Amino acid sequence: MTLKNTPERWGAVSQALHWLVVLLILAVATVGLVMDELPRTPKYFWVYTAHKSLGITVLALMLLRLGWRLYAGGVPPVAGTPRWQATVASATHWLLYALALAMPLSGWLYDSASGLRPFRWFGLFTMPKLTGPNEWLADRARDAHELLFLLLVALVVLHAAAALWHHLIVRDETLARMLPRRRTRTPEPEDPDHDA
Amino acid sequence: MTPRLTTPAAVAAMLVAMMAAPARAADYVQAPGSSLAFATKYDGEVFSGRFGGFDTKLRFDPERLDDARLEVTIQLAGTSTGNADRDSTLAGSDFFNVARFSRATYVAERFRAVDDGYVADGTLTLRGVSRPVALHFTWTPGNPALLSGRATVKRLEFGVGGGDWADTALIPDEVAISTRVFLHPAP
Repeated sequence: MTLKNTPERWGAVSQALHWLVVLLILAVATVGLVMDELPRTPKYFWVYTAHKSLGITVLALMLLRLGWRLYAGGVPPVAGTPRWQATVASATHWLLYALALAMPLSGWLYDSASGLRPFRWFGLFTMPKLTGPNEWLADRARDAHELLFLLLVALVVLHAAAALWHHLIVRDETLARMLPRRRTRTPEPEDPDHDA
Repeated sequence: MTPRLTTPAAVAAMLVAMMAAPARAADYVQAPGSSLAFATKYDGEVFSGRFGGFDTKLRFDPERLDDARLEVTIQLAGTSTGNADRDSTLAGSDFFNVARFSRATYVAERFRAVDDGYVADGTLTLRGVSRPVALHFTWTPGNPALLSGRATVKRLEFGVGGGDWADTALIPDEVAISTRVFLHPAP
């Protein structure tokens, strides 16, 4: 596998960034949903710090990823993809980039405007505040954070469903070329007892 | 313990006392524009807040400190620090516990003059606990007169921020109180 992207498949850097961000977003979203249920006492504040730290990590990786995408280019749709599908896919990809950047930014703004306590990234260094305490701004940033999350969930579902549809129904290379090992797509024999 | 004005006997006793003691020229009540604030920090992050409300009654004459008396009633519900999460935590049982103790009182009957003003050695009753708290203040006569004061309250003496919040490395024990009370002569 090459580092850079080729017309046939995503290179190692794009793949690593893609799947790393997938794992981090799953983790940060899980922690984010769980922490809303926790008592707001110092005993559990590390959970909030973990959520914020994971989010800032996503932000940093997404900036790297955006830079790499602009430098290394994308991979064109597999041959024969209808134009409308390519357009929807491309729009989804760029919206996902935008949301994966806007989510941590709105969270960071919410944290800053709340002004409750210092935010140390995984306890290692203190993150700068984007703004001083501002209750109005904190409320807006929190609303945005929640709304963007719902949008992100909707787009991730669309994106993943499309990838699985390509892989399982259309049986083309769309998903396989974002996977580390090249899967030779020999059609499996139809076996009614075997769940694919 | 301060007398409770909830029983008819207490009210009657108070009325008798009021009639017996002629109103003095140096009796004051709180005027609009007064403020009572506190400041502390969480993990180094400084924040300040205002109580839901407060009411001041003062008898004060710089020439007759032995006759002075200050009584402040502080409404804890509605305390605001500029963050709704923090405000609800403050109202909760770990801090003010406003469901049980909706107000605090400060009563001072011993006053002394110091270099830069006066000190009232009073008693703060907060969260069901009464402890001495000194109020340093300056006095500007007039109508309204102005009492401008500072005090330091050790929150843990009153059980404010116990349990998980007791760590003074996160929240210092000492909370700074500042007040500016405008005072009209009592009618």
